[in-house]
Amino acid sequence: MEITIIAEASGKGLHPVTEQLVGAASSLGGVITVLCPGGVGSNDASEISGVSKVISLQGDCFSSFDSGSWSAVMAPLSQGMVMASSSPSGRELGAQIASKIGAPIVQDITGIEPGYKVTRSVYSGKAVETSSLTTPCVVTLRQNAFEGASGGGSAEVVVVDNSTEVSVAVKEAIAKAGERMDVSDAEIIISGGRGMGEPSNFSHLNEVADVIGAAVGASRAAVDTWDEIPHSMQVGQTGKTVNPTLYIAVGISGAIQHLAGMRSSKYIVAINKDPDAPIFGVADYGIVATWEEALPALKEELGKLS
Amino acid sequence: MPFEALDFYDVDSLLTEEERMVRDMVRDFVDNDVLPEIEHACRDGVFPDQWRVTLGEMGILGAPLKGYGCPGLSYAAYGVICRELERGDSGLRSFASVQGSLAMYPIWDFGSEEQKNYYLPKMASGEWIGCFGLTEPDYGSNPGDMITRAEDMGDHYVLNGAKMWITNGSIAQLAVVWAKLDGVIRGFIVEKDDEGFSAPEMKGKHSLKASVTSELVFQDCKIPKDRMLPGVKGLRGPFSCLNNARYGISWGAVGAAQACFDSAREYSLSRIQFEHPIASYQLVQNKLSWMLREITKAQLLAYHLSQKKDSGNWIPEHISLAKMNNVDIALEIARVARDIHGANGILDEYPVMRHMANLESVKTYEGTHDIHNLILGRHITGIQAFTREI
Amino acid sequence: MKIAVLLKQVPDTTAKIAVSGDRVDHASVAKWSTSPYDEYALEYALQLKEAGAGDLVAITCGPDRAAKMLTDAAAVGVDSMLHVVADTAEMDSKQIQSILVAAINHCEADVILCGKQAADTNSGSTGPGIASLMGAACVGMVSEVTVEGDGFSALRASSVGNERVSVSRPCLFAFDKASTELRRPNVKGIMMAKRKVIETVSTDDLGINLEESQVNIVSHDSPPEKPPGQKFEGADSVRTVVLKLREEANVI
Repeated sequence: MEITIIAEASGKGLHPVTEQLVGAASSLGGVITVLCPGGVGSNDASEISGVSKVISLQGDCFSSFDSGSWSAVMAPLSQGMVMASSSPSGRELGAQIASKIGAPIVQDITGIEPGYKVTRSVYSGKAVETSSLTTPCVVTLRQNAFEGASGGGSAEVVVVDNSTEVSVAVKEAIAKAGERMDVSDAEIIISGGRGMGEPSNFSHLNEVADVIGAAVGASRAAVDTWDEIPHSMQVGQTGKTVNPTLYIAVGISGAIQHLAGMRSSKYIVAINKDPDAPIFGVADYGIVATWEEALPALKEELGKLS
Repeated sequence: MPFEALDFYDVDSLLTEEERMVRDMVRDFVDNDVLPEIEHACRDGVFPDQWRVTLGEMGILGAPLKGYGCPGLSYAAYGVICRELERGDSGLRSFASVQGSLAMYPIWDFGSEEQKNYYLPKMASGEWIGCFGLTEPDYGSNPGDMITRAEDMGDHYVLNGAKMWITNGSIAQLAVVWAKLDGVIRGFIVEKDDEGFSAPEMKGKHSLKASVTSELVFQDCKIPKDRMLPGVKGLRGPFSCLNNARYGISWGAVGAAQACFDSAREYSLSRIQFEHPIASYQLVQNKLSWMLREITKAQLLAYHLSQKKDSGNWIPEHISLAKMNNVDIALEIARVARDIHGANGILDEYPVMRHMANLESVKTYEGTHDIHNLILGRHITGIQAFTREI
Repeated sequence: MKIAVLLKQVPDTTAKIAVSGDRVDHASVAKWSTSPYDEYALEYALQLKEAGAGDLVAITCGPDRAAKMLTDAAAVGVDSMLHVVADTAEMDSKQIQSILVAAINHCEADVILCGKQAADTNSGSTGPGIASLMGAACVGMVSEVTVEGDGFSALRASSVGNERVSVSRPCLFAFDKASTELRRPNVKGIMMAKRKVIETVSTDDLGINLEESQVNIVSHDSPPEKPPGQKFEGADSVRTVVLKLREEANVI
């Protein structure tokens, strides 16, 4: 059975999710071809165990992201099951390829079995959907939901240059303004309470937030006590109600007013030096420690994750 | 989180689709624009001007009035607007009630064509704020004996006297003032810059803090001749206005009650004491159940009244009943809700005590609870019991 | 010149989702709303209409209850509405896209705006899939679109932040959250909405041959119960927790 994997790039190299795509494909048993847009990461891809062939796609159309032209090049090269990462570009590209090869697509799967049965999260995580599908088909895989394949492979790398016309012209790159995300929109939030001691200590929360792309919030106690902590950061009864995937509460006791604002977070981590703090009653993972010790460790451990 | 209002008997399903869309529009405004700011507005004692702008943009000022740039909505829609605004804050709903029912309405019903064309569009858009000058320091429940007077000076009128407890007064561009001309009550439009007119703000309120309450002072206040409302004489003028405002309040009170109920219910489910949420204790359930019953009854009263208003099949006593009942239960619900919140209920983290304090004013203005009681008593017996010869 | 905005009615993101039998129970959903990313698409569609890019039609494929969403769109200014009555819950990406392409062609629109993914399926296939079928330029992860000459300029996410891109018609924009304010209806809009009639059609009316779904939902299940909270002592446990967040909870 053929499996075509669309490599995911990260800067000038391969994104680790590519190894996970190969790992998932290998678990199904299949002849694995990896397509590398613009040739990015083709050598690394050829060294992933399980890969039979790498096709390095060259041409002008690969100088910027254009799902239309990229999929036009990739579709004729796509055999059997097509796999991509469920990153925003992976989803867009996967959907275009699916249309071109006349196959259905299932996005952001977290499990796949021969046969093929796939599972994925739906209704914003409130339900799990299991579906069956046959080839040809396209699936995009959620990052870190599958084991990555190991190294030590040596596949051939073939160069193909079938560049086609680009329909999306990139005019200007605009680096992000460095504005921190608002708590209302964030998937991950790290919040500080009065237990942080001083408003300047929120810089430690900012550092952790930067590592994982989180927003920074605060309890009402912190907002009321310190002018430097603005009301827009407040999570709670009279602040914002949030429901991120992950909420990390640091130096927050967990008074009922604060809980009202974050209780429906998918996962809650609490860091507090008081083992009896009410926040531990709602935390999935509680760490009894001072923030002075825990935050640097948190920053380091999160930094180690890819 | 968008607000889910208690509607146990599904009374809102009786509204038209248009009325429900208006409801949703105002509800979203309260959720997004009002609630995040209301506690600060209250602490600072200000009515945020942006709300005036947005109310104008939404097009809900003077809701049931037709023509002259006014919305031309049903009375049911007007009621829904009041309910949704007051779910946010009674002071916010007071702004809209005064603007629509007490300032726009008298011009609409009793004004000349020129007055209607000049004032109504500006007020419907929110560009100009109006207020209503009836109550005086010594004449509240007894407006008929008011002492503010107007004199005809040939080519203008001169007003002398003072009004008190006037919502919007200090921020209004115009006031519809009721004064005696040769002993007969007439309506006069006084504009902000008229000579001899001032509108100082009344400070130190514990209630309706996010609303502007003022005195209107007339010291040889000169106004042009074309400012008198030609279409009405006597108390019928102000009372017609009050009927409309009272109608809106009967709906508004339901909104405040819903807000208090919602907060009490949420709180009782979250607050753990003796290892269980207090919602699991019988005394708390008794209180919540009582609130649900009273809110449901009040909703049905308000809705049926809206249908009577829209069909023209009503008398003022119908409105007295609804205003009196709904405000009374709303105030009780606010008090019981505060009780359920325990000590937390005194903080402005929760809305209950703000509603409770507001509702004291709502119970007093637009006809006190006792006055409406006597209006009904007079209707039942044919005998007025407001006063007696001593 | 016609612009189409694709809207999907989904359970409100605050609504509780219950699984009954082996399917999510739609009958028990307390509140239905416009899918959040579609709201940004609608706002920008209205801005493009106001800039003279064409008349605006709002299109949905959904059961009867979805009509209300179109009326709400009318209240903020869409010129016309098309409702393809069909339940998409068991359909695959090919079926849904074929319906919407037929709808768009029926309306003769060549500029399409939609949300990047619907809040129920959380997929993100419809926009790019339709673009491919129509031979339209596809811009995803969009946070802004403006008229530029005969075409459009859009802001889309990139690895460094954002990039400005240019496209001409036919084109499709799939929206992420944008920083623009979403306009709210006003009374005038609500009253005008009453007068706008929704064009209601079936898939047969559009001449679509749906074929069989090639993806069959076996079951919906509630997400697995979270294990009870775990408590750890000391900053040394941070490493353990971080690994659990990745491996047990899958949240980072």
